[in-house]
Amino acid sequence: MARNRIKPAGGFELTAWYFMRISGLVLVFLAVGHLFIMHIANNVENINYAFVAGRWTDPRTGWIWRLWDLSMIGLAMFHGFNGLRQILDEQVHGAKARVAMHTTIWVVMTALILVGSYAIWMFQEDKAYVEKWKSLNSKAVATSSVGAPTQVSNVQASASTGE
Amino acid sequence: MSTIPSEPRAYRPGKLAKLIDGLRYQGGIGQWSWLVHRVTGLGILLFLIIHVIDTFFVVFNPALYDHTVAIYGGVIGGEYYWPLRWAFRLAELGLIATVLFHAVNGVRVILFDFWNDGCKYQKESFRAVMLVFLALMIPAAIAVILPLASAPEHTVKIPENVVTARP
Repeated sequence: MARNRIKPAGGFELTAWYFMRISGLVLVFLAVGHLFIMHIANNVENINYAFVAGRWTDPRTGWIWRLWDLSMIGLAMFHGFNGLRQILDEQVHGAKARVAMHTTIWVVMTALILVGSYAIWMFQEDKAYVEKWKSLNSKAVATSSVGAPTQVSNVQASASTGE
Repeated sequence: MSTIPSEPRAYRPGKLAKLIDGLRYQGGIGQWSWLVHRVTGLGILLFLIIHVIDTFFVVFNPALYDHTVAIYGGVIGGEYYWPLRWAFRLAELGLIATVLFHAVNGVRVILFDFWNDGCKYQKESFRAVMLVFLALMIPAAIAVILPLASAPEHTVKIPENVVTARP
């Protein structure tokens, strides 16, 4: 244990202490990697329904992106709301207010994890919508293929499989 | 609620003095890195809440999702507003800066906890954090701001919701 550093003695707070550090290190790769794919490798203005659908339903790599996003939402939500709890623990002193604050934090966190995981896990491509989108935006083609197949290769893939 | 004994009025500090005093937590670089780490963390959490909700649109309403992300590119209802696009681009850069600072400084905090002499080098390590942060931010800023130099690559046409039979 490093000098001059406060570490909880045990129980939930010690688990949370370890969780914050381990999830933080994992999120450096997951979240910064996600930002790199979405904002640097791709132009964020090209991200749309067809992009997300192509990414999550790709027959070869779709499961990797779904696993990535599922891990990220769980770790980031726990990490973020636990951080909020630690800040508010120093500011909120009344017993009733603390119970209300902790309850709100965990309920909102659970709801957001469920909502986000449902979207990632249960997503099914709306093929008719994507075809309509492509016919309306025939000139629009994603400029990069990192993290998602381009819309052109989507068309080629579906043409070659005879769909 | 405990009651605070009243002080003679002449010695009572003003709100600004109290704020400055409250920020003087140990003082120096350690205080500011601690404060910025907290503020960036809260900012990322606020963004994440919005981000989870807007991404949830993909499962039940593709057109609503496309309408929402088109706003991030400065397009509302097929009309392009350049100040909106600029504002979202700058906010995007702010988001990247916020996450990068929190990530790099977070690694510094972890080093303090698992390396005995880490705290001895807290000032030097903060300089290293700022160097790494700037080294990552400069190319990121170029990549994010450069598309503003040209008009949007295409005006997006968003179809009305298509009713699809779902299994």
